[in-house]
Amino acid sequence: MAIPVEVPKLGNTVEECLIAKWRKHKGERVSAGEVVAEIETDKATFEVTAPVDGTVLETFFDEGALVPVFTNLFVIGEAGESADAFRPQGAAAPEGAAATQAVSTATPAAPKADRQAARPVPAGPTGPFSPRARRFAEEHGFHPAAVTGSGPGGRVLEEDLRKQYYSSPRVSSLAKKRIEEGMEIGGEGSGTAGMVLSGDLVPPATRISGIREKIARRMRESLSTTAQYTLHTSANAGGLLLIRAKIKASTGVPDININDLVTFCAIRALLEIPDLNAEFIDGRIHRHPEIHIGFACDTPRGLMVPVVKDAHKLTAGELSLKMKELTGQAVQGTISVDDLSGATFTVSNLGGLGIESFTPLLNPPQVAILGVDAIQLKPVRRDGRIEFIDAIGLSLTLDHQVIDGAPGARFLKVVKEKIENVESLCTI
Amino acid sequence: MYDLIVIGAGPGGYEAAAHAGRMGKKVALIEKERLGGTCLNVGCIPAKTFLRSSRLFHECGKAASYGVRLGSIEFDMPAVVERKNRVVGTLAKGVEGMLKRAGVEVISGHARLISRNAVQVGPERYEAANILLATGSRPAKPPIPGIRSEGVLDSDTVFSLTRVPDRIAIVGGGYIGLEFACFFNEVGAKVSVYEMLPQIAAGSDLEISSRLLQIMKRAGIEFHLSSKVLGIEGNTIRYAAADGSESSVSADCILNATGRAPVVDGLGLEEVGVDFSPKGVRTSEYGKTNVAGLWACGDVTGRRMLAHAATREGIAAVNNMFGKKDRIRYQAIPAVIYTHPEVASVGRTEEEVKSLGIEYKKSVVPMAVAGRFLVEHEGGTGMVKVLAGARFGEILGVHAIGDASSEFIIAAAIMVETEMCVSDVSEIVFPHPTVSEALREAILGVH
Repeated sequence: MAIPVEVPKLGNTVEECLIAKWRKHKGERVSAGEVVAEIETDKATFEVTAPVDGTVLETFFDEGALVPVFTNLFVIGEAGESADAFRPQGAAAPEGAAATQAVSTATPAAPKADRQAARPVPAGPTGPFSPRARRFAEEHGFHPAAVTGSGPGGRVLEEDLRKQYYSSPRVSSLAKKRIEEGMEIGGEGSGTAGMVLSGDLVPPATRISGIREKIARRMRESLSTTAQYTLHTSANAGGLLLIRAKIKASTGVPDININDLVTFCAIRALLEIPDLNAEFIDGRIHRHPEIHIGFACDTPRGLMVPVVKDAHKLTAGELSLKMKELTGQAVQGTISVDDLSGATFTVSNLGGLGIESFTPLLNPPQVAILGVDAIQLKPVRRDGRIEFIDAIGLSLTLDHQVIDGAPGARFLKVVKEKIENVESLCTI
Repeated sequence: MYDLIVIGAGPGGYEAAAHAGRMGKKVALIEKERLGGTCLNVGCIPAKTFLRSSRLFHECGKAASYGVRLGSIEFDMPAVVERKNRVVGTLAKGVEGMLKRAGVEVISGHARLISRNAVQVGPERYEAANILLATGSRPAKPPIPGIRSEGVLDSDTVFSLTRVPDRIAIVGGGYIGLEFACFFNEVGAKVSVYEMLPQIAAGSDLEISSRLLQIMKRAGIEFHLSSKVLGIEGNTIRYAAADGSESSVSADCILNATGRAPVVDGLGLEEVGVDFSPKGVRTSEYGKTNVAGLWACGDVTGRRMLAHAATREGIAAVNNMFGKKDRIRYQAIPAVIYTHPEVASVGRTEEEVKSLGIEYKKSVVPMAVAGRFLVEHEGGTGMVKVLAGARFGEILGVHAIGDASSEFIIAAAIMVETEMCVSDVSEIVFPHPTVSEALREAILGVH
């Protein structure tokens, strides 16, 4: 029996998803649980799997299409079954039904469906090809990425193609084959009369994913809309290490790590100095009574920042558990979009990778982000003698628009005190 | 002050000088001996002239198999030398005329660098914005006791022989040794070749060189492979055979054909700070040395040591020095050994392809697939071997043994140079009946 699979609802705020990639195509066999499609929201990439064993009867949208949630995405069934009953409005037409489709989209059936209809990424020529241009392109195997049409309405004429064909660099037969496989012309050809040889080709620049694009935009915004600066200090990590040692030696206690403990201390400090648990939007500071902690998380899809809601209400053990759970979901790509938004303060840890200090970037409109650095030996003077202690580095980035240096430093001092007295803050 | 001074008038130097001259540059070409260099005077041209005569003599002996009956035939060595001198003279005049038309000033004498833009020739000092080193090479003298003695011929002195020796021992089974082995064998000498390596024609595709060895042995030439010559005394060679046993043989003539060494001495290279070793002056693929304004081409670079490679390097260097970027590509330089039968190749050998880990397909066809080959070469044998990339079918190497292969190897060179694939060749028309059809069959046989 044919079973339709919908675009899942990935969070309260998600209305539509981008079809990033079809991992299985029409006619291919799949087993239950196998990934059929990759879809993207503006925050993350998700995988849509087959619910049962069977054959992919139909995929309704092309890669690059934006599809509303709860729309039928594909159909699994037994080979030969019809999937037409599940065809959503706005989907690509089945083969051989182009005319019908043209009529149906011309009717004002559903304005929403029109907007959401498959939108392939625009590429290729600027205008339609004349029949002779099309024939020239076919005969010469010449399909340029862009060509300017000189005919009426940007229509590409044979002459336009011919001009471009004969002024393009000559490419060796081998190079041509490798270009068809995705290689690109790097610079000028090194062969006879400038012929492009295979050695002149370079791997193509790869298009960044939707989530990477999102990260890129947010990072640029962070730097262009704030006045950020970073304060560095370190705290005696003796207490942190003692608790870790205790946890390792015990059984049946939650596996709280250094980062969890530092985050827990930062939350305690925010309760004392709530000015930093705030957002700065359009000239107004919004101080939040609740503390929602975002924490930077390295995933195969790039940086993600899961959010622990109402973190101030959690014990160290509960906080640690919640952070682990969200980390797992982020890495797997199953995290809900709702768990990726709403932070009021962020913690970023590169200490685990041995970073001694860094400048975390603000996540606007938040006004502060705490970077957790590596633990290093540090000399201290005690009773006239030099001793070495384990010290954990802290890097606090603030938005100088609303937080000056002194209050920032005072907050960092409180975090440091909390860390140095961590044993009294949480019991294992 | 010249735009360019070229040192050495071989096929690297004179072609480069003429090219620069035709570009309207003020050029001087300095040569201490004769125009034309090794190639024209004691290399390619004289050797091929000798080989043409020996081939004709040999074929006259076989004329009956073509239905032609001759009376007694005789090899007239002095007449062969005389013809060689005439051919060389004609070509030398051609070079002279070409240089004159190009406006190149020819200076006779030994040039020595005194700075990066000046040379000393006798009492005269000449300055130039660019200097191109094209001093070539000379027969190598490996450290074998007695090899420098006067009685030992080399590829310079062998052309002065006035009579065919009864027995000749050739030290070295590279292309020079093999060509002379063919010549002397065809004109009736008893020839033995001593080669240190287990194969002849080192650097050739092994399948081809093995076939050449077989053919030459069958023609009556004696080969001692993996044999090390320990010393030469008078007319006697002492050598250690592959099994380690030592023997001595005597011959009327001993020919040192152990290869060629770049001429890097007596040029002032150290003083000017040029990066070089006994293996040659180091150059980039644009013909530049490490010293600005100093360029090099041909055998002196120790790169390919072929006349046509020298010409290409010289012209590329001139283009680069006068602002036209020109990169020398070494992957498609054809090479020919003028033995009987000829060996011609371009691109990678099967051994190279294997050692580089390139996945490949190959096709080997006998020369006899071409009707013309059968017609022209009664009793002849040969083959064409093609190596192509496994994935795209690009032609990686073509290796041929069989007469006329030297004349069609250029087609294969163009295919390698322009990275043509097997499927492209099916669109090319090969003339019929020609031996080149064997190349076509071999390429289309790659599956």
